[in-house]
Amino acid sequence: MSDRPAQQADEGWHRPGLGVAVVAAVAAVVAVGLIALPRDTAALPAIARHAMRIALPRWGTTEGVNEIVYGSRGFDTFGETFLLLAAVVAVVLLARGPEPRAEYVGEASAGRAEQAAADPEAPPDQQELQARRAEQEESEEQEPAPDHADEEPLGTPAPERSAAMTVIVRAAARVAAVPLAVAGVYLAAWGYAPGGGFPAGAVLTGVALLLYAALGHRAVGSAVRPAVLEPLELFGAAAIVAIGTVGAFVRGSFLQNWLPLAEQQTIRAGGTLQAFSGAELVEVGTGLTIAIFALLGMRHEWAGDEDES
Amino acid sequence: MIVANYLAAGAVFCLGLLAVLGRRNLVKIVMGLSLMESATYLLLVSLAYRKGSTAPVLAARPPGVSQRELVNGNVADPVLQNFCLTAVVIGVAVTAVFLTVVVRVAQHYRSVNADDVRELRG
Repeated sequence: MSDRPAQQADEGWHRPGLGVAVVAAVAAVVAVGLIALPRDTAALPAIARHAMRIALPRWGTTEGVNEIVYGSRGFDTFGETFLLLAAVVAVVLLARGPEPRAEYVGEASAGRAEQAAADPEAPPDQQELQARRAEQEESEEQEPAPDHADEEPLGTPAPERSAAMTVIVRAAARVAAVPLAVAGVYLAAWGYAPGGGFPAGAVLTGVALLLYAALGHRAVGSAVRPAVLEPLELFGAAAIVAIGTVGAFVRGSFLQNWLPLAEQQTIRAGGTLQAFSGAELVEVGTGLTIAIFALLGMRHEWAGDEDES
Repeated sequence: MIVANYLAAGAVFCLGLLAVLGRRNLVKIVMGLSLMESATYLLLVSLAYRKGSTAPVLAARPPGVSQRELVNGNVADPVLQNFCLTAVVIGVAVTAVFLTVVVRVAQHYRSVNADDVRELRG
């Protein structure tokens, strides 16, 4: 490892002259390309016109963007879905700890309480003392968080902990979470949201993060855990494969519609387009949540110092 | 003046590239990559815009306009909106992969400086 001070290593620019020269060259090429792009008065491309024309007669949907995402470009969306799955699997593999875990975050504090209850008299050995000292030094929290965020007394001095935000944040999160989640799912289910399951899944991930940030991990721990999210995500992926494969056998083309079309702007209006959108909601919602919480859960797995070995 | 949007997207892209090339802090490099990614979202949405257009939605039409007229009328490009919204979701997942690698590098090397991560250098 370098002997330079960390402060010096992180600050400043690396070969600024070369960087600016390369960026200036790229900027010139990009500017020439951008100026030649079609302007806002250009006619719509043929594929966009085609999508608008067939949205209602072929799919029964009033959303042009949904027709593109799950209809005309359905196979492309299928590929993107599995790209997302591959990214989530990569995060899970990279973030995996040395021991199997039931929750993404919060197991360290849960384990401390369990150990104290099971064996309160046994004195810690030298190795445990050393580990606890190291953990204490690296931890920002000097006291364990309360069991529930609402048990944190009002007026507790800053810094606030994620497990106990102020009562204003907690109340606002509680009020906002349910309407946000319902609105996201409703708009996707009735086919009103451009992109259907993609934005709705992102809304659900946002709600989980909002509750985690405001109320701590115990508020979301029962739902946001590997045993729940990972099977759900694989179910979403399997449902997309199944919808496409049945279309191939029944209609002769992968992801072709094989369900009857209901009246427009109802929950079954889009046929398999709506089913694909629903499966995408599950896939995106669980995939993003797994990726973010797996990242949040990476703690205390530092390599030993070189002079210790 | 949609060209101003295009050029703004190009400027944000170049700022991100400058961060990737000029910074050694791995977190700042990931931020630069995210900035480059965001520039493409701005470009895609700007490219989808049509002057005086409505959203590519056949429900809740403007008064006096039939669905058939709307289909053949002036709407924003739904294909580019589709590219943008799928790119946002994939971008979040890819950024999560980058950050996970950065955390592992930080834990292994005790540094987030790219110059310190050179064990693979031949």
